[in-house]
Amino acid sequence: MKDLVEVLYREIPAGVGSKGKLRLTKEDEKRLLRKGARWAVEEGYGEPEDLEHTESGGMIEGADPSLISDKAIERGKAQQGTLGSGNHFLEIQYVQEIYDREAADALGLFPDQVTIMIHTGSRGFGHQVCTDYLEVMEKAARKYEIKLPDRELACAPFNSPEAQDYMAAMKAAANYAWANRQCIMHWTREAIMKALKISPGQLGLSLVYDVAHNIAKVEEHTVNGKRMILVVHRKGATRAFPPGHPELPEAYKNIGQPVLIPGDMGRASFVLIGTEKAMAETFGSTCHGAGRVLSRHQAIKRAKGRAIWREMEDAGIMVKSTGKRTLAEEMSEAYKDITNVVDVVHRAGISKKVAKLRPMGVVKG
Amino acid sequence: MIEGTKRIDENTIEIPIGFVDGMRVKGLIFVDRGLEEFLEEGAVKQVANVATLPGIVKASLAMPDIHTGYGFSIGGVAAFDINEGIVSPGGVGYDIN
Repeated sequence: MKDLVEVLYREIPAGVGSKGKLRLTKEDEKRLLRKGARWAVEEGYGEPEDLEHTESGGMIEGADPSLISDKAIERGKAQQGTLGSGNHFLEIQYVQEIYDREAADALGLFPDQVTIMIHTGSRGFGHQVCTDYLEVMEKAARKYEIKLPDRELACAPFNSPEAQDYMAAMKAAANYAWANRQCIMHWTREAIMKALKISPGQLGLSLVYDVAHNIAKVEEHTVNGKRMILVVHRKGATRAFPPGHPELPEAYKNIGQPVLIPGDMGRASFVLIGTEKAMAETFGSTCHGAGRVLSRHQAIKRAKGRAIWREMEDAGIMVKSTGKRTLAEEMSEAYKDITNVVDVVHRAGISKKVAKLRPMGVVKG
Repeated sequence: MIEGTKRIDENTIEIPIGFVDGMRVKGLIFVDRGLEEFLEEGAVKQVANVATLPGIVKASLAMPDIHTGYGFSIGGVAAFDINEGIVSPGGVGYDIN
């Protein structure tokens, strides 16, 4: 396990502002922003089947690179194919518990199976898009005379040019994130095959699902018996569509959409599935992770004088990170217990527990 | 229990209209009694603030992993009618996707 974590750490660029191994021109990046994970697969990073198991096929239509600032393009060029820092991670895990046999079978999950989870997004690119458009929206909110209780809620009417521009830029960032995870997944497969000297057939590492948790999407929902077209904002919330929904891949039509809940590095992550109740009550949404209880600053103070990596190693989890600081910020006790979070959404019926994944090896930025 | 909120069942608390001025719909947070202890007042206020935005439908929602974010809480879900509603970058956050 230690060797495998070392290899993955070497092969997957991680850390604040880390630079990837892709050498993209501006034109490459613009194609990537329009096509997302589809771009990655066309370039040879992964298989067409991966896209079938990715939300929106890894590409949202309507992304417009011409609405992206030069600064965002520049940040994005270097960071595609990188893990980043903070709560982002790549983990080698195993299936510790199955709660729903039928759903687990459909997803191809079984007890003691080894899994890989990748948690990262659009990196500095998305951050810059958000920064740029918050400025646009502050002006727009004044222009359209929208009364705001907090200026951080800056917004514009959906049909205004400002909002439409933001949507097209945000879609580009969403596509960037899908391409990013697709590339990282591809290199992860390559790294493991190389390290264990095995073939793709022997590896058998297929994608269960790739899902977003910070995104706004136009969707159809029923509200008070009426079909409505809504723009659903999910910020730290995951889409959780029910069985039979047209956006589900064929293999999951009968069980519902898989939902991935990345936990903290010392406890667990979960696989859930979406439900009818989520569709009726929460616009087809559920939770996204553990949620912090300690601020980053508090966590660093709490970790003073401790070797977090050794504590984790003692607990059977090998960890490799670019810095001590990230490990301090990300230690388990900085987070709520993910099991409690998942139990609430399960009991509330807005998603259903399928499997619990326990980390064995962690790569952190 | 944060003053002004009320528990409606084992897994949900409600932020009634009126918790902050101008709420168009109620707020709902999925938390049990255990996780409610971690609930930040600031995050609850953010869920209520979102309920004031034009075109919001049904309720301003938040999941049990809620914490304070930029404008909108992290763990928040809000849906707006495309004809009367708004779009806000704060409702997606910096870490897009």
